[in-house]
Amino acid sequence: MPVAPAQPYPDFDPVAAYPVMGRVRNALVVQDWAAVRALVDAAPESAARTMLIRFAATVPDTERFLRDVLDRDPDDSVAGAMLGGRLIDAGWAVRTRAMAEHVSAGQFRVFHEHLRRAEQILITAAARNPADVAVWCERLISARGLGLGISEVRRRYDRLAAHDPHHLPAQSQLLQSLCPKWDGTWEQVHAFARERMLAAPKGANNAVLVVTGHLERALGDDESHLATPFARDEVHEAAARSVLDPDFRHDYGWVGVRNSFAMAFSLMGDNREAAAQFNALDRFASKDPWEYLGNPAEAFVRRRARAYAIAGAR
Amino acid sequence: MIRRTEIDGVPALIAPTAGPLQAGLMFRVGRADETLSRAGITHLLEHLVLHPMGLADYHYNGATAPVTTYFHMQGPEKDVAGFLSGVCDALSALPLDRLETEKAILRTEHGSRTPHVTEPMALWRYGARGHGLIGYPEFGLHMITPDDLSAWAARYFTRDNAVLWITGSDVPAGLTLRLPAGERQAVPAASSALPVTPAYFSGGSRTVALDAVVRRRTAAGVFAGVLERELFRGLRQEGGLSYTASADYNPRGDGYAVVTALADALPEKQDAVLGGFIDVLAKLRVGRIEPADLAAVVARRADALDNAEVSATRLPSLALALLTGEPQPSAEELAAELRNVTVADVHEVAEEALGSALLMVPAGRSADWAGFAAAPSVSDGAVDGQAYRSLEGSDARLVVGEQGVSLAGPQEAITVRFDQCAVVLAWPDGCRTLIGEDAISLTVEPTLFAGGAAVPPVIDAAVPPHLRVDMPARDPSSIPVPDPDRYSRPPGVRPLGSRLRLWQRAGVPKLGFLLLLAAGLTVLGIVGMVTGAGTIRGQLVAVAGGGVWSSYLIRNLIPRVQQVWRMLE
Repeated sequence: MPVAPAQPYPDFDPVAAYPVMGRVRNALVVQDWAAVRALVDAAPESAARTMLIRFAATVPDTERFLRDVLDRDPDDSVAGAMLGGRLIDAGWAVRTRAMAEHVSAGQFRVFHEHLRRAEQILITAAARNPADVAVWCERLISARGLGLGISEVRRRYDRLAAHDPHHLPAQSQLLQSLCPKWDGTWEQVHAFARERMLAAPKGANNAVLVVTGHLERALGDDESHLATPFARDEVHEAAARSVLDPDFRHDYGWVGVRNSFAMAFSLMGDNREAAAQFNALDRFASKDPWEYLGNPAEAFVRRRARAYAIAGAR
Repeated sequence: MIRRTEIDGVPALIAPTAGPLQAGLMFRVGRADETLSRAGITHLLEHLVLHPMGLADYHYNGATAPVTTYFHMQGPEKDVAGFLSGVCDALSALPLDRLETEKAILRTEHGSRTPHVTEPMALWRYGARGHGLIGYPEFGLHMITPDDLSAWAARYFTRDNAVLWITGSDVPAGLTLRLPAGERQAVPAASSALPVTPAYFSGGSRTVALDAVVRRRTAAGVFAGVLERELFRGLRQEGGLSYTASADYNPRGDGYAVVTALADALPEKQDAVLGGFIDVLAKLRVGRIEPADLAAVVARRADALDNAEVSATRLPSLALALLTGEPQPSAEELAAELRNVTVADVHEVAEEALGSALLMVPAGRSADWAGFAAAPSVSDGAVDGQAYRSLEGSDARLVVGEQGVSLAGPQEAITVRFDQCAVVLAWPDGCRTLIGEDAISLTVEPTLFAGGAAVPPVIDAAVPPHLRVDMPARDPSSIPVPDPDRYSRPPGVRPLGSRLRLWQRAGVPKLGFLLLLAAGLTVLGIVGMVTGAGTIRGQLVAVAGGGVWSSYLIRNLIPRVQQVWRMLE
């Protein structure tokens, strides 16, 4: 295992790994909608397209521009998904990711107001373009935030899956809704993750769902969960089906996948496997899942140093 | 072909049929013409008129609808003529000796019927008047006098406010319609209890339902058909979320029509049914009308217009149009209109329907997230007046003033103003329920407020007698006794004493004791049979009597136990 003498500092900006996102951001800032659409339409596959739209929704101060675009062409579902996503993001920024009991009534009111506005834009966008999975993916998030119930979240996912059964961005959203902190149970989390992993093609990113499910359970519920044979076996099986498979590619989504495996292996004490992921990642880091451990950069650097130290010492 | 004629001043529509002779005498009066405090008068009158017919072996019926009342008969010419002449004669000489009996029958009929799941929508849309009255019990039955009935008959059951339709070759021989002259009565103007539409309210069931008002036209009926196909496909066929998913179209008689739609849901699928329902509405609102749906609906409706019986089957709806003064196109004209309905026409109706929509969502759900405003369930403010403190620790005070009555809490108030009061239900023990024209209902239990006994006389003095309905005395056990800690106690904690009181008040210990006796009697009988003690006849009587008594007691006990359980929850 080669251990670089000075490890690169982790870069959490998704633009680092996916430069097209940077170009989307620039096009949004200069309000060049044709350029935005060209970049989004050129996405290699639908998960990449959804990721670009999701990323665009995090760019601040775009509401008025997107509203104008949508007014000019109500059928533009990219604008609909982005504007809906933008309002959801702005609402979530007010709510914060804190547990519900630490969120004030005023914060909730603003959060719900944003989500209602987002949802109404997304209802229309989905009505006009029912095959646009990016719109449905945003609607999974708004449904969760508005507390519309697990059967409604599931219905939305089913509408989406009819068009793309392996759409990881949406599967990750549904997985969140299936967690006990929202509407579901751990059994549903693990069953769904496993089912979608097994259904996905060899080497696909979808196996990360299994890892996310176990991380959620370990960090949200029971710290010792990762020590159970069930969790260990499933995480290793998921690795074999994705990051360790020769068909695994560094295309859209790979950074989040490897970061999740790196963190899970590190927490399980499988430092050699963790070191392999850190090595493949180089400087590319993702906030999710590291922010579960506090400051993501500190957590990343600390875990990586430990992985290299122990794995290298072998 | 439909022939028009006149019989004793009553306009008549006649169409040939291969089937049996049928006739319908329709009057332009219905529940929407009533007031809440005398609600039921039309239905009562219909029952009184039909009572003498019960002695003949006729195949007949009568019905009271929102804007019409009709009497229908099928049979030989002589019987049809006899029936219709008899109805008219009974209208001028009502069998008033039957009044109290028919009132009792109607109360039983109401108690035993299953209300349609969409009935509450009427009162949320229209309030406690006009078209909203179908959402209420027939409160007025108790108070209706022979004079009320005669006045009602004289105003509405006249030859100028009636239409007769006949399926057959000609007017039945010997038919006479002895009705007084009068005036054609216009369909009552629609009231509104909805300040904003689209609106929603949370119903008590798992059903999602839509009620939308659109201008009456052929395309609107087609829209209802398209909506039904979308709901059935989206909620039943694709999602497996609903069993029933249907839509309906009914002219209201005033140039408008009501589109209703409903979808039921399994308990665990209610959210998905609501979401799917809203998505179907959105799809039609943005104009994504499937051409195949449009074609299928048009074809089915055109088929119904293209057969030998079409003239006969259209008679009731033509009679209604004639009574309400609405257009009465021929079957050919309707078929031509149908063929001309375009996707754009249906889209236009969809936009109109969604703009006026009232959505009923399952219990505990909302639809504000989808752009529907909450229909008002509280009042704008409270009246000024004498305030009465709750004896149960509630921070809501009862306020009684010259303007009306309010139950005023720190945030919200419910108010019924005397000048907008639809009814006051008055019980002998002092309990008063006031229902405002906006359908806001306020019950005053004098025992639950300090000095509350002073309130009923104030209400009684302020409300005119025609709005008052005297209710029969309540069982003393249902007159509430104040529980001083009811609102101050943390939820979920209930002192043992009050639990025991609940069980006692429901009569469970008493019934349980009797059940023990009855079961003991049965056991004694069985023991006697086994051991041979006593006569076999005595044993059989003990076993059978004890068994029947036990089962009677159990049947009474189970609902009471369930009720107390529900209260304790």
